[in-house]
Amino acid sequence: MSVEYLKQALAMGDAEKLIRFVRLHLGDGNESVGRREIDKAWIEALKLLLDVPPTDRDFILATIRHRDAATLAHLFFQLHFFFVRRSGEWIHDGDL
Amino acid sequence: MTATSDPHEQLRSRLWHTINERYPGSMITRDEAVPLAPVTKPLERCRLTFVSTAGVQPKGTTPFDTVHPIGDYTYRRVPSSARPSELEIHQIKFPTIGARRDLNVIFPIERLQELVTEGHLGGLTADFFTFVGYNMDPDRVERDLAVQIADAVVDQRADIALMCPA
Repeated sequence: MSVEYLKQALAMGDAEKLIRFVRLHLGDGNESVGRREIDKAWIEALKLLLDVPPTDRDFILATIRHRDAATLAHLFFQLHFFFVRRSGEWIHDGDL
Repeated sequence: MTATSDPHEQLRSRLWHTINERYPGSMITRDEAVPLAPVTKPLERCRLTFVSTAGVQPKGTTPFDTVHPIGDYTYRRVPSSARPSELEIHQIKFPTIGARRDLNVIFPIERLQELVTEGHLGGLTADFFTFVGYNMDPDRVERDLAVQIADAVVDQRADIALMCPA
């Protein structure tokens, strides 16, 4: 999907097209795989918090407070791949 | 996604038959074409440059951004004298099983060095140029990235350019 296609979808409020693109991106062109990949990343993140370990909440709050939204969005995608990598089930052909 | 664990199953079956269905609008067509520049002297007197979308880069340089949903619009210079052991690939959109065994299958740097040594080519530019082929904004590629690489190629006084998609 070209960025033009995505911008048109955004202008039309077509969330289905947008989320489909995200799933395709994360699933390397396979929408159902992408959906599972999203779930996998969230499960991996949840696993790490089940025992309520100490975390650096100041870092989190300061990052959100001081960084621009685009950088945070970029970080969001980076974190997805970080947690997928950490899950041990890497479906992608290459590497980050 | 392909079967990364099986080296015999690394090709994406019928990938291009479904690309417009899976990535609507990503395949672009152009009515106009840039005319090819004719080669004006024998290859053995030509300086060749190599432009690749394989995401190859020298170890230690900032990895290509493989997670950005819209793509990475930067390029890296790869010294044409580099050895494969000094290079690495950062991308997640094509199978790299073969390339990890022998980088030349996707980035034939040693073959090009040999062509110079054997006298088939006059020489290589100091640098080759690589970027990541995955991107969702072909206009930005044409407007920014392609111009930057073209300028760099001209600066290195290349007579001919080998361009290779990954």
